[in-house]
Amino acid sequence: MTDLKILVVEDDPVTLLLIKKKIISTDYEVETATNGEEAVNLISGNYYDVVLTDLMMPGDIDGIGVLEATKKLCSQTEVILITAYASVDNAVEAMQKGASDYIQKPINFDELLLRLDKIRGLKALIKDAVDLREAMDVTEKNAGHTIQDLELEISHLQKRISEIKKVLSMEDRDHPKRINIALAMLSAIENNLS
Amino acid sequence: MPLKIKTDEIKVIIKYIHEISGISLDHSKAYLLETRLGHFLNEGDCSSYLDLYQKAKSDKKLEGKIIDAISTNETLFFRDKGPFDLLRNKIIPELIDARSAKIRGNIPIPIRIWSAACSTGQELYSIAILLKELLLDVKKYNLKLLGTDISDTAVSQASYGKFNKFEIERGLAKDKLAKFFSPDGVNWKIKDEIRVMANFKKFNLMFPFNGLGKFDIIFCRNVAIYFSLEDRKKIFNNISNALEKDGSLIIGSSEALTGICPKFEPKRHLNSIFYQLKQ
Ligand SMILES: C[S@@+](CC[C@H](N)C(=O)[O-])C[C@H]1O[C@@H](n2cnc3c(N)ncnc32)[C@H](O)[C@@H]1O
Repeated sequence: MTDLKILVVEDDPVTLLLIKKKIISTDYEVETATNGEEAVNLISGNYYDVVLTDLMMPGDIDGIGVLEATKKLCSQTEVILITAYASVDNAVEAMQKGASDYIQKPINFDELLLRLDKIRGLKALIKDAVDLREAMDVTEKNAGHTIQDLELEISHLQKRISEIKKVLSMEDRDHPKRINIALAMLSAIENNLS
Repeated sequence: MPLKIKTDEIKVIIKYIHEISGISLDHSKAYLLETRLGHFLNEGDCSSYLDLYQKAKSDKKLEGKIIDAISTNETLFFRDKGPFDLLRNKIIPELIDARSAKIRGNIPIPIRIWSAACSTGQELYSIAILLKELLLDVKKYNLKLLGTDISDTAVSQASYGKFNKFEIERGLAKDKLAKFFSPDGVNWKIKDEIRVMANFKKFNLMFPFNGLGKFDIIFCRNVAIYFSLEDRKKIFNNISNALEKDGSLIIGSSEALTGICPKFEPKRHLNSIFYQLKQ
């Protein structure tokens, strides 16, 4: 199973600590940021599987800003937004911009962990699919080269066979002569193949 | 859990799928039928696979859905790279030379290209993007780019020209994405300048090729692999008749025509091969 590396972005220190504690009690790895700027700095230098960010934060970069920066810097990172109240409109806007989920305050931690587990499952599936695709690509490339080489070789041999047939049916030469020429042609083919 | 398919049902369904799509399924692949068709039994009011077959026979829409469920639409932009290098460096320049030698005056040079199982359009759009970059002034040419597929869903997605981030991330270089696509929510849409170059329509390769006309270049990749040897012979023979005398055929990287169509001759350029009619 892949483990998740999670960045939590939250301006309220108490909530931040609570989330961190809760997530650490699982096997997931957690880092934290207390505002949008700090978060974007971290995201541009590190890879995170999940960014869990508060939607409303003071400063120039709010949750939507963090979301946009994350999607731009690393499209594989999943973003979950924390909304203060049932501001569904904001959440919908966020989903349209590529957020994978949102949860409402007060945070239900069981629900949060469930969502994270779901993302972990999804990541594992995606990794499997990518691995399979990679394996298929390699196999296909190899098979492709072999098949194309054989295809050309067969076409080449077909031409040689026609030439030999032509030599063997040359009326203006006697049999031993025809056979000798044909044999020479066959030897050339044999040498080429080995 | 999808309903288990019975042995006698497997026979009927496989025969039916072959009739409607040419796709030749292995009798040992009961699980494939169950995972791909099982949901029709749950959502519709079919009590068995036999029942599904009976209903689909007189219901074109259901038939289309079955084809969608059975067929693999896997595709990507600039798939295999080789054929596109081939187009850029050899086939298109030589074609233009040959065609312009025959044309007098200022008539646009005709170039007709067919993507014979275009799926969701990535193959034909890759060709269109390549032409746009290579030819600079596409107005000097009379381009006819046709994409066909048996799947309604695939053809309408191709027509719409919208791709999600997974589809975009596969095979498309960043510079091309920026140049030829515009963001559309979390998706991407092909720009009009490329969209207008391409035409898409539904077409079943198992049917006679009436009214399609002739092409200078045909892409028929990764579709015949799903057909029986007999059907492959038939299709590539039809393709040979739809190709101009000096036209070029490109097949999938792991496909071959030996023993399938003696009219074609393989030719190598750099790392790829393509086929032309024997003279
Ligand atoms: C694997 S995709 C190949 C797409 C593209 N040519 C490529 O190589 O990337 C195969 C496509 O063939 C289509 N197909 C299957 N049977 C067909 C038929 N009888 N006539 C036309 N298209 C068919 C499927 O709907 C699917 O979109």
